[in-house]
Amino acid sequence: MKLFVSGRSAWVSIAITLAGALLFALLPAFLSPYGVRVGQLFVLAAGLAVAWTVLGGFSGYWSFGNAAFVGTGAFVAALIELALPGWSPAGAFTVALLAAMLLNGLLALVIAWPILRLRGIYFAIAMLGVSQVCYELVSNIDALRGALGVNLIDIVPKDVRPERFYYWALLLAATAIILIAICVRHSKLGYGLLAIREDEDTARMLGVPTAPYKISAFVISAMLTAMMGVIYAHNLGYITANSVFRNEFNLNVIVYSLLGGMGTIIGPIVGAGVMTYVTQVLLGDLLDIHMFITGLLLAILVLAAPNGLYGIYDTYRLRLKRQKREAGR
Amino acid sequence: MSADVILAVRGVSKSFRGLKAVRDVSFEVPRGAICSLIGPNGAGKSTFFNLVTGYFRPDSGTILFEGRDIAGASPVDVAHLGVARAFQIAKPFPGMSVTENVRIGALFGRAGPRDVEAVTQSAMQLAGLAELHDREARELTVGQLRRLEVARALAARPSLLLADEPCAGLNPTETAEMVAILRRARDAGATVVLVEHDMPAVMEISDTVLVLEAGALIAQGAPQAIARDPRVIAAYLGTEE
Ligand SMILES: Nc1ncnc2c1ncn2[C@@H]1O[C@H](COP(=O)(O)OP(=O)(O)O)[C@@H](O)[C@H]1O
Ligand SMILES: [Mg+2]
Repeated sequence: MKLFVSGRSAWVSIAITLAGALLFALLPAFLSPYGVRVGQLFVLAAGLAVAWTVLGGFSGYWSFGNAAFVGTGAFVAALIELALPGWSPAGAFTVALLAAMLLNGLLALVIAWPILRLRGIYFAIAMLGVSQVCYELVSNIDALRGALGVNLIDIVPKDVRPERFYYWALLLAATAIILIAICVRHSKLGYGLLAIREDEDTARMLGVPTAPYKISAFVISAMLTAMMGVIYAHNLGYITANSVFRNEFNLNVIVYSLLGGMGTIIGPIVGAGVMTYVTQVLLGDLLDIHMFITGLLLAILVLAAPNGLYGIYDTYRLRLKRQKREAGR
Repeated sequence: MSADVILAVRGVSKSFRGLKAVRDVSFEVPRGAICSLIGPNGAGKSTFFNLVTGYFRPDSGTILFEGRDIAGASPVDVAHLGVARAFQIAKPFPGMSVTENVRIGALFGRAGPRDVEAVTQSAMQLAGLAELHDREARELTVGQLRRLEVARALAARPSLLLADEPCAGLNPTETAEMVAILRRARDAGATVVLVEHDMPAVMEISDTVLVLEAGALIAQGAPQAIARDPRVIAAYLGTEE
């Protein structure tokens, strides 16, 4: 079985990703601790947004409820660590991370069967409901400690600055997510998802096994989102239901794709970068009106470039191609 | 059923809320033939294709494809058995290039994973799309879109191709091109069932012609015989010319 359908572009994307990750790994040497924390926000946002894209961007099934997997991931990890008191931090963290990813994969598998039959906006709303239900359960069942809060173990090595450690940990996770997204995109699964996004009925008639493909993408997306959630929770150190089941996680991942380019992998990364820069650096001092200005900017950008920044580039690329063709005649 | 019948339809009916779109239709398509399905608008031709491809389940009757009853089977399963369809309203994936569109046909069709590229290339060649390989589907003209639709269907290596009005909206040159493409598809091993309004094209290309009117099969036979059939002239040709 060939891994990639379109091998060359897959390997090019992988090489660019690795080079980019390496570059970003060197950044803390040149940044203030505050700069590194902004960097953390960016890689967290990019990782979550690309994890969302594996289902939402590729297949067109927009989930409005990915906070469910961030939060459930965080709490599964926290509760497992609580249950492993004598363990070394590295050992407990590894078990907690794997368990959180597995459980979120299972959760996605269980809810996929009923809700992935819904199309378009109905699926989006159903996922919003799922994230709300997960939040309520974790908040209201005492044993899950969502209201009270729970501490996560300290996994930062002694001689590393915590903000740097978490920057690198989040970067590593985001890089893994991007690489997995590239593999999905260029595999048979990815082509099937794109066909589903373009026209699901036509895809079925071409022989795309739509149900198993959508479920696979959903499970992968949930597991990757949970991985990000677990690391984020450790970065916080102490979590409540309110701090991890955040509506921002539901919405921002979509905003990043809209801004950068829906359905692409580079789009959500660029979108996360632009939004983080605008909100944290440009408007960092204007806390009172920063939500207002962010909203305004977003509205303008979406109106001016409905297909995101990638859409602008794509239009330009098509025009160039056409000009070259006409010149060649 | 003899072995050289690829599709045998027996007593198939389908209604929509009391409207009988297809009523008690029976016929056979010999393997390797080009068979045209004609009839006025609303006669039930597209509905019939929807029944064969599993998009609708017939209310009654059997649809035997290579001896297997596929009535009510899922579109995915029907596709994997070797039935491909080119839609009346061309539905290529607009955001993808010509090659990517055709490749999806090949990937999910019956070519082995190692043959996907070769099959993609040969389907594009057959449909005269080789020069347009890196165009985006949204850049194509109507005629090119129809050829893309047929190429994507053929890339699945189907044994039965259902082509729904592939010449609609084409000029005479493009129509002639499409007729040649369908011939080449048949010569490459596919049986073709064609819905078409362009009578000269139908007469030229078909081995047999089936005539539907208001959901019922009113005549079938060789093209010359159909052209002389008074019922057909009354129901269809007469109203058209
Ligand atoms: N999905 C549907 N729901 C309701 N009525 C339909 C549907 N599809 C087709 N019909 C009706 O069935 C009849 C046959 O339509 P169709 O098969 O598209 O005709 P043709 O392709 O021969 O022009 C028409 O009266 C049409 O309105
Ligand atoms: Mg029709």
